[in-house]
Amino acid sequence: MANDLTFWKNRVHVETSREDLETNRADLETSRRDFLTRMGFVLAASALAGCSRGAVQKAIPFLIKPEETMPGVATWYASTCGACSAGCGLLVKTRDGRPIKIEGNTESPLSGGGTCASGQATVLSLYDAERLKGPTWLGVPVTWQDVDARIEERLRAAMAGRHNLVLLSGTIVSPSTRALIAEWKARVPTFRHVVYDAVSFSALRRATGACFAIDGLPHYRFDRATTIVGIEADFLGTWLSPVEFTRQYARRRRPDAAGVMSRHYQFEAGVSLTGTNADHRVPIAASQQGAVALAILRRVAIEAGVETGAAEVDGAIDEGAVASAAEDLWRHRGASLVVSGSQDTATQIVVHAINALLGNIGTTVDIESPSLQKQGDDRSLAQLVDEMQRGDIHGLMLYGVNPAYDFPDAARFARGMESVALTISFADRLDETASLAHAVCPDHHFLEAWNDAEAVTASFSLAQPAIAPLLDTRAAQDSLLKWLGKEPDFYAYVREFWRTHIHPTDARGRTFDELWDHALHDGVYYRDVPAAKTPPFRPSRAFTAAWQSAAHEVAGQGRSSAAPAADRYELHLYETVAIRDGRHANNPWLQELPDPVTKITWGNYLVLAPSLARRLGVESGDVVRMGVPDAQIELPAYVQPGQSPGTVSIALGYGRQHAGKVAYGVGANAFPLVTSFDGERQYHRGGVVLQKAGRSEPLATTQAHHSMEGRPIVRTTTLSALLSEETEARPEAASLWADREGGPHRWGLAIDLNSCTGCSACVTACQAENNVPVVGRDEVLRGREMHWIRIDAYTGGSEDHPETLVQPMMCQHCQNAPCETVCPVAATTHSSDGLNQQVYNRCIGTRYCENNCPYKVRRFNWFRYAQNEAFDFNMNNPVGRMVLNPDVTVRSRGVMEKCSMCIQRVQDGKLLAKQEGRPVADGDIKTACQQVCPADSIVFGDLNDPESRVARMRAGQRHYLVLDEIGTKPNVGYLMKIKNRSEA
Amino acid sequence: MTPSALAPVSPQKPRPAPRPVQPWIAADVSARRITDEVMHPLISRPGAAWLASFALAVLALAVGVASVAYEVATGVGVWGLNKTVGWAFDITNFVFWIGIGHAGTLISAILLLLRQQWRTSISRSAEAMTIFAVLCAAVFPLIHMGRPWLAFWVIPYPNSRGPLWVNFRSPLLWDVFAINTYLTISLVFWYLGMIPDFATLRDRTAAGSRRLVYSLLSFGWNGSARTWSRYETATTILAGLATPLVISVHTIVSMDFATSVLPGWHSTVFPPYFVAGAVFSGFGMVLTLLIITRTVMHLEHYISIRHLEVMAKVMLLTGSIVGLAYALEFFNAWYGGNVYERYAFVNRASGPYAWCFWIMVLCNVLAPQLLWIRRVRRSVAALFLLSIMVNIGMWFERFVIIVTSLHRSYLPSSWTMYRPTIIEVGTLVGSFGLFFTCFLAFIRVLPMIAMWEVKAVTGHASETTHE
Repeated sequence: MANDLTFWKNRVHVETSREDLETNRADLETSRRDFLTRMGFVLAASALAGCSRGAVQKAIPFLIKPEETMPGVATWYASTCGACSAGCGLLVKTRDGRPIKIEGNTESPLSGGGTCASGQATVLSLYDAERLKGPTWLGVPVTWQDVDARIEERLRAAMAGRHNLVLLSGTIVSPSTRALIAEWKARVPTFRHVVYDAVSFSALRRATGACFAIDGLPHYRFDRATTIVGIEADFLGTWLSPVEFTRQYARRRRPDAAGVMSRHYQFEAGVSLTGTNADHRVPIAASQQGAVALAILRRVAIEAGVETGAAEVDGAIDEGAVASAAEDLWRHRGASLVVSGSQDTATQIVVHAINALLGNIGTTVDIESPSLQKQGDDRSLAQLVDEMQRGDIHGLMLYGVNPAYDFPDAARFARGMESVALTISFADRLDETASLAHAVCPDHHFLEAWNDAEAVTASFSLAQPAIAPLLDTRAAQDSLLKWLGKEPDFYAYVREFWRTHIHPTDARGRTFDELWDHALHDGVYYRDVPAAKTPPFRPSRAFTAAWQSAAHEVAGQGRSSAAPAADRYELHLYETVAIRDGRHANNPWLQELPDPVTKITWGNYLVLAPSLARRLGVESGDVVRMGVPDAQIELPAYVQPGQSPGTVSIALGYGRQHAGKVAYGVGANAFPLVTSFDGERQYHRGGVVLQKAGRSEPLATTQAHHSMEGRPIVRTTTLSALLSEETEARPEAASLWADREGGPHRWGLAIDLNSCTGCSACVTACQAENNVPVVGRDEVLRGREMHWIRIDAYTGGSEDHPETLVQPMMCQHCQNAPCETVCPVAATTHSSDGLNQQVYNRCIGTRYCENNCPYKVRRFNWFRYAQNEAFDFNMNNPVGRMVLNPDVTVRSRGVMEKCSMCIQRVQDGKLLAKQEGRPVADGDIKTACQQVCPADSIVFGDLNDPESRVARMRAGQRHYLVLDEIGTKPNVGYLMKIKNRSEA
Repeated sequence: MTPSALAPVSPQKPRPAPRPVQPWIAADVSARRITDEVMHPLISRPGAAWLASFALAVLALAVGVASVAYEVATGVGVWGLNKTVGWAFDITNFVFWIGIGHAGTLISAILLLLRQQWRTSISRSAEAMTIFAVLCAAVFPLIHMGRPWLAFWVIPYPNSRGPLWVNFRSPLLWDVFAINTYLTISLVFWYLGMIPDFATLRDRTAAGSRRLVYSLLSFGWNGSARTWSRYETATTILAGLATPLVISVHTIVSMDFATSVLPGWHSTVFPPYFVAGAVFSGFGMVLTLLIITRTVMHLEHYISIRHLEVMAKVMLLTGSIVGLAYALEFFNAWYGGNVYERYAFVNRASGPYAWCFWIMVLCNVLAPQLLWIRRVRRSVAALFLLSIMVNIGMWFERFVIIVTSLHRSYLPSSWTMYRPTIIEVGTLVGSFGLFFTCFLAFIRVLPMIAMWEVKAVTGHASETTHE
């Protein structure tokens, strides 16, 4: 009531108020409508505001956290690479239970922390959507029970009838698997194991057996060699164990305390990666390999005072180069090395003789612990194919081989397969051979399987699954165990093998479980070989006789190979670093990897010397038909300075029809051109006819211009200049502007061009780490490949004796970046720790930054490359996308990207240090390119820390900055390449 | 024999009679006649020539719209750009169209301040050309972006992301301000200039929707002396505002290149060089348009040969400045000794795009020199041909500057070639389609000659508007 008094002052007021009430009611009526309108608006507005721009995605957290797994924190597993038989140790990074990145295992005595490009790319082949999802019988998917039943029935019948059973496999370096195969041999008398390598080393194998009585190949030690002579052996790229050899080679390219560094001569027909790194590269015809070896033998023998007993060879080889090489070899005898890729046993024996005369056996040529790679024997393979033709083989198991594609007479092999009653393939897809087999029992990918490896005697490693098998596959060894009637548990088998064969010789007094756990954790185990003084190698009489007769033979070959007919040329076949023998053909990262020498992607080509091209009237891109009596091939030509004038080169591994959609139609198959001589497969031949086909096919190259145009981009020095301190580090260009204010760190890179071989492993590592998309051949043709790091290859010198210099080029993270000033929306900024940052979600894609970058390291997303049918690679299917690194954004269309100096790794490193309450130590953070490099040429670190490796490199004599005269102040520096030419 | 002091002075040669000063506007046209003739296209039915041209322009526009739609929907990848050449047709077209616009502003604004009476009959069309050219130009920065739907991020608006501002150091951003300012001022100036004419049209139109539109547009013009006085002040102020734009806008556009590090771009000669080039190409386009229009619309006595001749003289002057700039660039490259800069110019003249370079030299430097000859200056056919050549040459100049510097810059490993795709050509064709559609529509919808200015010049300004 009291309240009422305040409202109703007097009756007059009441009257007025009533009037007001009337009006108020009217107001209320309208205001109700207004209210509803307003509410409607508010409702609509909040609904609109509440609308998210994208589709709602549900994330369901684990109810119970799995042990030892922290979401967002990677789990690492030590394993062994299965990309080839070199057995490099790996550390597999997994996130959310799936492998996303492969890194080298620094504990490995062979590969150190390095891997090659193919090794990096195998993480993608795990997620190949075209892998078989389960076993098949005659091409029809069946269950394991079904296929096992059929196979076991047929095997039992074969065993009962004492029919021939053969396991045809690639080189198996796994001692447990070899033990399993031995068990098969023991249990099944008519069973035998034939080893088939698509690229054969059978001649080296036979020669090694003949000379040193060992069953294996020598284990080469390039790190102990001061003089290296390679004769048609691409040991830095594809020959035998390139990661290990690169690591060893790079070590000796750094002048030691005495100022000694290695000198490398390379005699080869085609221009290989190794050849581009040599101090002296001598082009020879492929048929002259034996002549070169013989010439070197003759000179070394004279020095050693030994009779060679071989007549002079009338070869057209460069005697000056041979003399120089031989002189260097002799000067550093005991610390020199001659290697040859020849498939002529006699030539390989001659090379062994050279090494023996030089006293290299035991130092650079280790025969105490031979390499167990490349176990293939061409003669037993030829015999098998003959038996197959005759119908003498009842059962054939194909494990890690594809002879219907890469056997020289693939058609004959395929016909032979028809006569075999039971063919089983363990391939992961219906490839050329598997599609002809009765049963396909797909093997696990090596990242899904238990295995072990002994690529070099006494150097063991383990492989463990980093992910449970994605598909309904089964380890080949499990299949073999099952069909033998044993428990199909290869893991237990490996453990048992180690318990019975490896543990007993362990000198460290551990229990088996301790040994196993340590070995599994480390990934590697090496048997402690007692440091018994091995006596210096003394050549036996048999050895001497062998090489003397081999020398005769090689001399005879040289005489008999008369001067070739005027319009007949030689063909040389080689493996590329990316595709190798074709096993990686369906891997888009590797198809798009620019070849280290030619920078061409997505296909093979016919490499010609400039003089030959002129004679034929052929330019790069013109299609040439190359014919030999039994085969023909048509490929676009590529004119390569340095190519031997009478020899053309073609890469193997292309033209696969049954590898998958990535490989289909890419290049042409050169395997049918492989011939045979004296029972060994030969990768060169003569009598080749060349003809223009009258059309052209553009080559998808990433670098069209190879001349440095006189610009000081890749700088070199000579060993003598370096030692006499004539090489001066150029001081950084003076600037009018004040230095940018920074934080405690200033991240930088130093790249040693002297150890970088150009192998391009860093390119694939970066692609894997940073979710860099694959764009396909057409886009590469338009100049739009997306690699954040590229290896520029500059060629100079004469067209027959060119010199190649390589330079990894990525974002230079300039302190005075031209790109940062010009972005209108500030999408590229500079961090306080020296990184040039690209902010993807701010970028509107004007491309001014790309234009203004003098290094041209920026990459633009011209189309949507992920989840787009037009780019049907790994980012277009959910399985392929499992390889993506969750720490790195996948960029959308219209956005610029570039090297971020692996900022996700930098942040990880800083965070870890912060958690542990300590400053970031030098070496805590490694960029992906640094981590993978087998030659350890890329170093990342804090330039503000004078003790860091990178700062010391930057202060060194050889350090320089690219294009620093324009004032960009890059944080990435380079160390000059040192040339070690002989003064002669 | 000494000459006598009283020798008769030799008869002086008779002074030649002074050449009759041709009037700017031929014949003695009355105010009424001016109004009738200028209004005629607005009220008559279009002729076959106009219809055909309009159809062609609309077709070209349609091609452009389709090309742009495809590009925005699919990605910039449908163009021929790559990792080395980030700009080609897109920015060439942008600079080309902006440059063309400068002539209009020069004619309307600068010549107004300089009290050049000959500008009166051409200023309206020239200013219209500027507006349409700027519109065409503005399309390109929008569509060349990778994510054009976020183009508004170049505008510094207050936001809750920091606030996150734009990068004021970027020349592209200066372009945003410059182009927007240019467009705004040009539009205002153009519209303001049309107010008295809208009033005339209002007064001459019968009641109806047309009259309503004209009366709205005429902003209540009453033609009083006070209104005129204020109007002249306003026009003069706007002309004063627009004048520096002729210099500044293209200076800023040239900064897109000049402030970069690229050899061939990084040059202080760019601002005056580009401004001269802009006026040059603009006058070329004005000449092309006006020659066509005056012939087709029978307005020869308003746009006389004298007008064309004066414009040709401006073209000659600016073309010579451009030629001088080319020579300076080459001289500086040689004199400076910078290997990258030297190569950039050697590449221009003898590299894979040398044919573009020499077309440019022929069309921009050599051909306009013919304008020294009076007969050429006064021949409509010759002027028409030369104006087309100037435009082709100026398009190639921007193409040469952009593409030759980009495709071969510092590191030879990134050297590549650029080839346009059909989509880029379609977009260029579309821009011409847009321009001509707008211009053709303009000449039928708005008075293309500034009636009030012409009347002022022919001495009929004092006559009332009733006639």
